[in-house]
Parts: sequence; structure tokens; C-alpha cells
Amino acid sequence: MSLDLTQFHEIFFEESFEALDAMEAALLKLSAGEVDAELINTIFRVAHSIKGGAATFAFNEVAGFTHVLETLLDQLRAGKRQVRPEIVDVLLRSGDAMRAMLVATQRKDAIDSASVAKLRAELERIMSESSTAAVPASAAKSATPSPGQAAANAPAPIPGWRIKFVPGPDLLRHGNDPLRILRELATLGNLRVSADAGGIPPLNDLDPEVCRLRWNLEVQGEIDRAAVHAVFEWAESECELTIERIGGEPASTHVVAAATVQTPAAAPASAPAPEASTRSANPDGGSIRVSIEKIDELLNSVGELVITQSVLSQLAAPLEGREAGELRSALAQLERHMRALQESVMRVRMLPISFVFNRFPRLVRDLGQRLGKKIELKVTGDTTELDKTVLEKIGDPLVHLVRNSIDHGIEMPDVRTAAGKSDHGTISLHAYHKGGNVIVEVSDDGGGLRKDKILKKALERGLVANETELSEERILNLIFAPGFSTADVVSDVSGRGVGMDVVRRNINELGGHIQIFSKEGEGSTIRIRLPLTLAILDGQLARVGKEVYVVPIVSIVETIQVTRERVCAVANGGQVFRLRDDYLPIVRLHELFDIEPDYIDLLDGLLMIVEADGKRVGLFVDELMSQQQVVIKSLETNFKQVTGLAGATMLGDGRVALILDIPGVITRFQAPEERGLAKPQAA
Amino acid sequence: MKVTRKKSRSKAAVPRHVRAVPARAAAIAPAPVSLPAPELAAVPAPAPEAARLVRVVLGTSCTIQEASAVRAHLLAQAAQSGPYEIDGASVEHVDTAGVQLIVAFALDCLEKGVAYKWSGRSAVLEKAIELLGLGPLLEYPA
Repeated sequence: MSLDLTQFHEIFFEESFEALDAMEAALLKLSAGEVDAELINTIFRVAHSIKGGAATFAFNEVAGFTHVLETLLDQLRAGKRQVRPEIVDVLLRSGDAMRAMLVATQRKDAIDSASVAKLRAELERIMSESSTAAVPASAAKSATPSPGQAAANAPAPIPGWRIKFVPGPDLLRHGNDPLRILRELATLGNLRVSADAGGIPPLNDLDPEVCRLRWNLEVQGEIDRAAVHAVFEWAESECELTIERIGGEPASTHVVAAATVQTPAAAPASAPAPEASTRSANPDGGSIRVSIEKIDELLNSVGELVITQSVLSQLAAPLEGREAGELRSALAQLERHMRALQESVMRVRMLPISFVFNRFPRLVRDLGQRLGKKIELKVTGDTTELDKTVLEKIGDPLVHLVRNSIDHGIEMPDVRTAAGKSDHGTISLHAYHKGGNVIVEVSDDGGGLRKDKILKKALERGLVANETELSEERILNLIFAPGFSTADVVSDVSGRGVGMDVVRRNINELGGHIQIFSKEGEGSTIRIRLPLTLAILDGQLARVGKEVYVVPIVSIVETIQVTRERVCAVANGGQVFRLRDDYLPIVRLHELFDIEPDYIDLLDGLLMIVEADGKRVGLFVDELMSQQQVVIKSLETNFKQVTGLAGATMLGDGRVALILDIPGVITRFQAPEERGLAKPQAA
Repeated sequence: MKVTRKKSRSKAAVPRHVRAVPARAAAIAPAPVSLPAPELAAVPAPAPEAARLVRVVLGTSCTIQEASAVRAHLLAQAAQSGPYEIDGASVEHVDTAGVQLIVAFALDCLEKGVAYKWSGRSAVLEKAIELLGLGPLLEYPA
């Protein structure tokens, strides 16, 4: 049996990306002035692990670059070099380079060797600088021994570490090669190796993928224990490892140093170690990685079950008699279990929003520095969970909003001081659950949106008519118009006016909603409401002729019966309905989708008032049916994208019902003359 | 270096000097060598002076990925009466799994009292053996 290492590539990439996130977070703390040995160790360990893994999989460019980075980190760790902003900056960029290299390797693309070489040269330049900036305490001591120490000129034991390394049965299979480990150990200091081949059975009985060799090692030199430990980091859950200081240690501190790192008892070499003992030593033992495709398959199966259960309930409904009652009771129980199962599966897809929020400390730091602004980022509610698909799609819009806040929102320190504010601006990211939705708010305490400026720009661009009187909310919403920007200077950060409309469209495509609040001089808040998931939907069934449509309940404001006196005809041949102080366009679904309705007269049917993007319309339907949770089947995947339709679902009677996409319905309705806010508005 | 014999290898350890080709080996006709896997190098026709030895030629790659094939090759060679001559001059890639197989082969030879010697080792193989602390066991030149 030969071992195909490529099967471990994806795990390596995933773990490396996570490790790089941790490295970036630690570097940002360092840049904030929090110099802590453990932080540097964390960063070092990331570089070291990635280097080891990359070398194992022969990703030589990654391994080579990371080796240089690791050398610099080692100097920082040993106190030979002081952490300073320039170094943190280079380290952050090195993290980016490693990520880019890994992405390129993962996609089998070419690595941008020129950029890597440039960064490598920067790292080497830093390392070549004299390291007088900081003399580590330990080095200072050894260079100028105190009189007391000088007296102690008795030969001291050679410093270093004694290591007992007994590989477990799966070490080789998982790509951890002792040869690589020993090679790395040899880079730390003078390495003495004593191999024990006594565990090797006759060739005929030897499983070539199980390591039966074991080693007693001594690595000599002034070496940090963590460095020795880091060499075994990838293998430690699959071996018996004892690391102790050469010459023994006084006092209890070294009891810790000499502690067995992993797997307290080695399994007999002749028998494979019980799987459980290896697993229990694994820090990831509490979770497993499962591909999203598998979860989606599971979710799809659950969706089919929900439909089947719905069919059964419908079939049982007209039945009568004692058995029918029992059947319905059992079906009700089935429905409860189905809902619980569905929720459980949905939860598997949920991830904390920190996956998205984690990128912002870096963004705020880099951009703030570039623009010369002092900005503090506050994050709350980052454990709020969202469906993975929603999370993936919310990232870019949020980046845009935060960049806008940094560029346009937060003022320069002198402006802030002059306005009586602290010279440090604050950007807050806040996530929380509300009514079956997740709310994400991006706030800043900057200058706020200038309504006069927005209105002026909108008039210039013909987005609003001169005589139009707009509410404050409508004025603020103008910033979502395509191509709208009030920025005086267009920068590469923002100000080109290609963004907020895309942000709103992306949010709408997710079934979400965006609102803006701003107070001049005090700051702005953008509030995004997102559905917990894109896979299921609470819908209201509405019938038009023989067709049944699902209207997302979240979009429905109310449903009313039309009275003649409230309906008015308008110039373009359409009709509007007066609802309290508002006039709402009437959208006849049968006209929109070209189907035969039961009723043409508004008085015979019902008007569902629905809202999207701040616009409200009345949907004219024949009748309302039940409300139910529906499993969304993509139209795009199974057919093609249709404006006004978000997908389809299967009803209990086996019929397919189309799910309305309310923003799309409004767009479709307005299509002939829609475009631009100067036209008469829906609400 | 410590070589502790396993129970399965319960015979007394064979002193290293027995690796000298035993006299009876001179009478052993050269055995043909078959190669089970493409990564194992072709065996050149035995030179007259090496005619008594079974040549075990290691291919360019002796890693865990070829471990099964290398093991099969070594077993096939071991099935022939030694002494053996191991040629590791072509090895370009090697890992612990590969070296361990060579060690197992060498230990089998020691146990059977059959001699083996190296005809060559590539720098890569040499370095791997040294790093793994197996130099004394796989002594070279023999």
C-alpha cells in the first residue's frame, strides 16, 4: 500500500489558514504595544508548523520563505531583537504572503515569486541589522558575569535537552516523518542521535508504514524548550515524547520541563496502539472536519423528508375515524421530530460571525495608519452564529462599510480635537439576534452623513427632482443609488461611488435589509438585518388562479381587503392604493407572471402589503392559504435565475410552488420605467 | 547504538564480523534479480567479481509512497541466498520508512548470519542514515 500525501493537503491548507489568522491576531496585539513572550511564541509556532507541513508536502517555496520568517521570529523570541512597529509591519505582510502562497499552491496557480523575494529580502535586511537594540537578560548575564557568578567557574553541564521520542503507529501514515523532525532538531543545536532498532520485526512482518524505530536524542545549546517542543508540534499527538533538560534540574520548575508531553504510555511496539489513546491526546478530539458538501447533502435529505412528512399530513387530513386520529397524532409527533432534526442540521452549518469580524482589526489598523487617523475598533457579539453561506456573502459588504467608515466617517485627529472629540475615533461592530434574524451594526463616531451635501449631489446628478421634498430617511438612502458618492476626493479606499449600491444589492440577495442612521457631527450607524439561514424560509402561501406562491413572511407588512374608494388610477395606467397616509402601487401577480387568475376585480381578492428596500407595494392575490416553513430549492441550479423569484419549493400535495423575491418583484413591476430615484416612488 | 532484539528475533545477536562473506558463499551462483516496481532501478549485469553476490539495487525513491514496492523487492532479494550487495547510489528521495526497510533487511541478514555490504550510497541516503542515528547499524563501507 502506498501513501498518497495529497489526501492531507486540504487539511494542511485549512489548518494553515486558521493558524495564519491566529498569527495575525497575535501580531496585531504586538502592534498595539502588548509585547508578551507568549504572543511571540504563538507567532513562532504558526510559522514553524506551516514550515514543517510545507516541507513535508514539498511545498518548497512556502517552506523556504517561512524558514526565513521563522529565523527572524526566533531572534525576537530569544530577545536578540526588539519588537518594533517596522518589524510587526513586515511580519504582517509576511503572513499575507504566506497566505497568498498557500492559496496559490492550493489552487495550483503560480506563486508570485517576485513579491515573495522582495519580502524575503526585507526580512533578511532586518536580520542583518545589528541587534544592539535589545540585549536579552540572559545574554547580558552570561556576557558580564557578576562576581558571584564568576566564582562559579566550575564546569557547568552542557546546556540542552534530552529527548525520548517513540513514534506511534500512525505517525508515518499522517505524513510526520521523523527524518524531517530530526533534521529540524539539528538546526537548533548540536544533535546527538541514538536510535533503537530493537522494535523492528523481520522484514516479512514489517508494516512499512509503521515506524518501529525509536530514538534517544540530545540537542545541545542555549535552546528554548518551546523551540524543541515546536519541532514535534505536528507529531506530538502521535508519539511518546519526553523532553528534559540535560544535567537534571533543581527545583520543581524542571519537573514541568521534564513532563511527558503527550501519550503517557506507549503501546507495545508489536501491537498497534489503541485508536482511542491516540485520539484522546489529540487537541481536536472534540470535533471533526466535515466538508460543507456533506452537510448540504444531509440538509437536502432532511428537506426531502420535511416535504414527505408534509405530503403525509395532507393525505391524513381528510381521513376520519379513530385510526385517523391516531395517525394524525403520530404525524404531529413526526413533524416535531422533523423540525428538531432540521434545526440540528441547520446548526451544523452555523458559524460565529467572528469568522468575518476577525479580518477587521487588521483592516482598521492598516487603513487608519495609511490615512493618518487614530482609530479604535470595538467588536461585540462576535459569537453570534450565522449560516455559513450567509457568512461568506456578508464579508465583502461589511469590509466596504468599515472602509467607508474609516475613510469618510472618522475625521482626522486635528479635526476631531477641534470639534471637542477625542483624537481617537471609534468604529464599532455589533452583532446580535433579533426576532429570528441576525442584526449586524457598523457604527462610527465620526462626522456623520451631511444631508445637505447628499441632496446637492443627488440634484446635480438628477437623482431627485428640484421640487421633491424628501424625508431624512430618503435622503440618507440616496447613498445607495448607483454611482453616488459625496467624497470630495476619490481615493483608492473609497469615493468612487461604486459600492453602497452593491452593498445593498448583496444584502438584499441574502434576503436581508439595510438601514442607515446618521447624525451630523456625531457619527453613523449602518444596520443590516440578515436571515439566519438561506436554506429554509417561513412563508405565507398565496394562491393566484391555479398557482401557489410562497411569500417570505419577513417581507409581509399586512394583508387587507380593498375598498373601491381607496383605489386611484395613476398616469401610467397603473393603480395605487391609499393606505393611511401613503399611496402604494398595486402589483397584480397574474399580470406580472402572465397567468390566469380567479379574480380580476380588486374587491374580490386580497392585497398583501409587502416591503423591500424601504419600498412598499400591494400584491394582489386571489386568496391566502396556510403559513409554513419551506425548504428552498434553487431555481438557478435547477433551471435559471428569474427576476422576482427566489426559488421554488415542494408543497405537501406534491405541487411545486415558486417563492417570491419581493425586491425582484418590485424591480420587475417597475421595469418599464424603473431606474433612478427621480421617478415616482413605490412608497 | 543499541540494537535490542525483539522476541521474534530471539536468536543470539550475530556479531558484526560475520558479515564477511562466508566461504560457502563463494560457491553460490549469482542469482537473477527481478524488480517489482518501476521506481526500482534496473540491475546491471553482474560484473565478474561481483558474481557471487545478490545485488540489491535501490531505486531513486525510497519513501513511504514506494514503501510497499521496496519491501516486496527486498523480500524477493532476501528469498535468494546471500550474500548481498546493496546499491543505494541512485537514491534521491528517502524518508524514515525507506531507511527502516533497509534496516529491517540488514537485521534479517545479521540474524541469518548472511553477509551484506554496500556498493554505494548517495549523499541523500548517507545523510538520512546519519541523521536517524543508524550509521553504526548500517555501517558503510562494510
